[in-house]
Amino acid sequence: MSILSSPFAKKPNSVTQMMLWVVIATLPGLFALLYFFGYGVLINLIIACSVALLTEAFILKIRKRPIAPILWDGSAFVTAWLLALALPPLLPWWMTVLGTSFAIVFAKHVYGGLGNNIFNPAMVGYVLLLISFPLEMTTWLPPQELAANPVGFIETIAIIFTGAASDPTTVDSLKQGVDGFTMATPLDHVKTELAQGYRIPEAESAAIITGLSGVGWQWVNLGFLAGGLVLLFKRIIGWQIPIAVLLGMGLVSLPLFFANSDHYLFPMFHGFAGATMLGAFFIATDPVTASTTPKGRWIFGLGIGVITVLIRTFGGYPDAIAFAVLLMNMTVPMIDYYTKPRVYGHKANKGHGTKKGHDEKVHVIKAKGAN
Amino acid sequence: MERSNFTSEIPIFEIPGGIHPEEHKLQSNQAEIRRIPLADELVINLKGQAGNRSLPVVNVGDKVLKGQMIAECDGVFSAYQHAPTSGEVIAIEERTIAHPSGLDDLCIVIKPDGEDTWTELSPVENLEGLSGKELSREKILAQIFEKGIVGLGGASFPSHIKLKQKDNIHTLIINAAECEPYVTCDDKLLQEHAEEVLKGAEIISKLYHDIKIIVGIEDNKPKAIEALDLARKNLELDNIKLAVVPTKYPSGGEKQLIQLLTGQEVPHGKLPVDLGLVMHNVGTCFAIYQALALGKPLVERLVTLTGEACQQPGNYWIPFGTPIHHLVKATGSTQPKRLIMGGPMMGYELPSDQVGIVKATNCIIMSADGELGMDQTALPCIRCGKCMDACPASLLPQQLYWHAQADEFDKAEEYDLFDCIECGACAYVCPSHIPLVQYYRYAKSTIRNNRIEKIKAEKARERHEARQERLERVKREKAERHRKAAEARKKVAAEAGKKDAKKAAVQAALARVKAKKEAQKSTDDNQEGEL
Repeated sequence: MSILSSPFAKKPNSVTQMMLWVVIATLPGLFALLYFFGYGVLINLIIACSVALLTEAFILKIRKRPIAPILWDGSAFVTAWLLALALPPLLPWWMTVLGTSFAIVFAKHVYGGLGNNIFNPAMVGYVLLLISFPLEMTTWLPPQELAANPVGFIETIAIIFTGAASDPTTVDSLKQGVDGFTMATPLDHVKTELAQGYRIPEAESAAIITGLSGVGWQWVNLGFLAGGLVLLFKRIIGWQIPIAVLLGMGLVSLPLFFANSDHYLFPMFHGFAGATMLGAFFIATDPVTASTTPKGRWIFGLGIGVITVLIRTFGGYPDAIAFAVLLMNMTVPMIDYYTKPRVYGHKANKGHGTKKGHDEKVHVIKAKGAN
Repeated sequence: MERSNFTSEIPIFEIPGGIHPEEHKLQSNQAEIRRIPLADELVINLKGQAGNRSLPVVNVGDKVLKGQMIAECDGVFSAYQHAPTSGEVIAIEERTIAHPSGLDDLCIVIKPDGEDTWTELSPVENLEGLSGKELSREKILAQIFEKGIVGLGGASFPSHIKLKQKDNIHTLIINAAECEPYVTCDDKLLQEHAEEVLKGAEIISKLYHDIKIIVGIEDNKPKAIEALDLARKNLELDNIKLAVVPTKYPSGGEKQLIQLLTGQEVPHGKLPVDLGLVMHNVGTCFAIYQALALGKPLVERLVTLTGEACQQPGNYWIPFGTPIHHLVKATGSTQPKRLIMGGPMMGYELPSDQVGIVKATNCIIMSADGELGMDQTALPCIRCGKCMDACPASLLPQQLYWHAQADEFDKAEEYDLFDCIECGACAYVCPSHIPLVQYYRYAKSTIRNNRIEKIKAEKARERHEARQERLERVKREKAERHRKAAEARKKVAAEAGKKDAKKAAVQAALARVKAKKEAQKSTDDNQEGEL
């Protein structure tokens, strides 16, 4: 009988449980995606998750780590799940495979596996695909309500796996971006219109724009918001980061909107368009790559919100959650270092929490590697 | 669990972090306090308190009476030990002691005679009638010292040391929070003996000329709170305030309870006395009362016997040295899977069921299979920060863990490792089931050892340098002696030389002439050779 150290009380949390809750909480948003954008979403999920588990198992074998317990922690599955939720529904299968395996191998295991990666793996996979295949990555189907030619299940599979469909014109139309087959996302649409000299009210007259943001998209975001609130309620995620992300977006978009509502979107639109809610509640809150101090969580979240709106407004991409998350990931070691909480019995914050001074900060980058 | 609706009589402040583990207190706080038959032998650990090991004053074969002193203090930072029952000393030897290391240490083994005969007791006469001024401080402290009273809250710190500082103390806090799950001995003690506890508290307050008394208690002990309120009324004590704090682990930690009741933090590196506060556990108050009013030394304590494998859970008066296996048998318990001394958060697993209980033993958990979460495999840290949210000291536990596991002890210290109270809240909430506290203990003990090693090395260096210097000095002195001797010789020679100065001059002249001739001759020889 081995002698163990306290505490002995049964521990209520587990990584597997946390990951499972994350997946469950995405369901409302996932259903909205399925409803508006068809079966492709489901097929992406299946491809991404299978590839993630296989890649993870393969790498663990090469690294001579125990396979079963680490696969079972569910982190690879969640990475793939979140990545797939962000992908366009008719993305060729090999792109999904590439993005997912790249995320697992290069964003996660190269750094030492779960807990050691600096960058959010799902977002690394996403950005790799986005900058390599910008056309495919921004080719979204029209939401179900607006689709003139809805793509059926068999056709979806055929397009994803072979690039050809039963009706060749469908594929051609898709590739050429013919209206009715594909449609810009609301953010994309607004960006294009603005670039062509239109004003926001004119851009907003398009069929895709409605309600909080756009057809379908507002429901997708509401779905992720609902799921995110479940995670908050279950205390799977802290409340600071998602609130800070949304606040950060508001901090930039609100003054811009008031300054010139012809050129800048209403903050609510930002909040319910694109990957905002998915990003705020599911991506930015990835424990491994987010800041872990109370103040740090605020800074991290605000940073993501601000950068997202800045890129959406002034940058070349319609959406920017992925870029914002990766940029803020970089700053986490520094944020954490400078936002140490005041420890019991210590007087006001002793600056950077070090008795020895600034020259130490280079070494504190999470003290990784020993694992 | 039932919560008391008693309104706290002083404002309660917040503490950061904390957790709400399953309480498991109902198992043991329902039954009345009981006794169990004496064990066949009592194993009294002489290292049963913080500080130095007590020195035995009895020999094998001696007959002892209950309450008779059997070991004396080794210096001030130590405690007297008394025979927990009457009987014969059958051994003074190394036995496994109640310590996580499972090490052996010196124990006195007493075989009870079954009579349980008390030795003559010497209470302080007419205690109740005396006011603060008449009660000599020295007399009370001496009695507390001689009766072997140590803190019964867990650390077994000798009480006479804690009570020594007398200036600028304005408040006595009685710690009745008992935030550890499973443990109910303080709860039960208050339910049945609240008056004695408060009388003990009064005695302590008299040591400081009637200071304010606050009893800090969690709201999950409604019966104990009622009992306290009633006892206070019966005794007509108006300087006692009841502070009911919300149930949250670890509110019973000394620093945490101070923060809850005063809003102040004990500054880093300082003690509660520096804030004018002194804190004692309810059990200690009871023991002090018994020592002064009845003259009874500390020979037994209230222990919670509980756990799913315990058939008759409850609180029992247990003489010190009673072996655990006897407690298991006496409560008719099934073979427990694991034995924990103390609570499930900060207690430790017993290496053997042969060890005797000590003054710090507040609880024995006899756990059933699967009752405790000890077989959960550890996964990598995912930096979720739950540990940080749970830490009552506002530390960054996951950073401490990173540095401790990488043996970067200077970094761990930079993250204030030594402000960790090892409450275990971080490890409890960790979804990766990392035994965080174990890493902190490892880091702390390594740092302490390193410091000791450093001091040792420093001393060794000093010794070495001193030796070098001594050798140098000896050498120098030797050289000096030689030099002096040589000078003396020269002087003698010089003086001897003066007398023969003329003779020397003649000789020198002769030598010069001789040398000239020689030189002449060698020149001629050379010229011949060249021809």
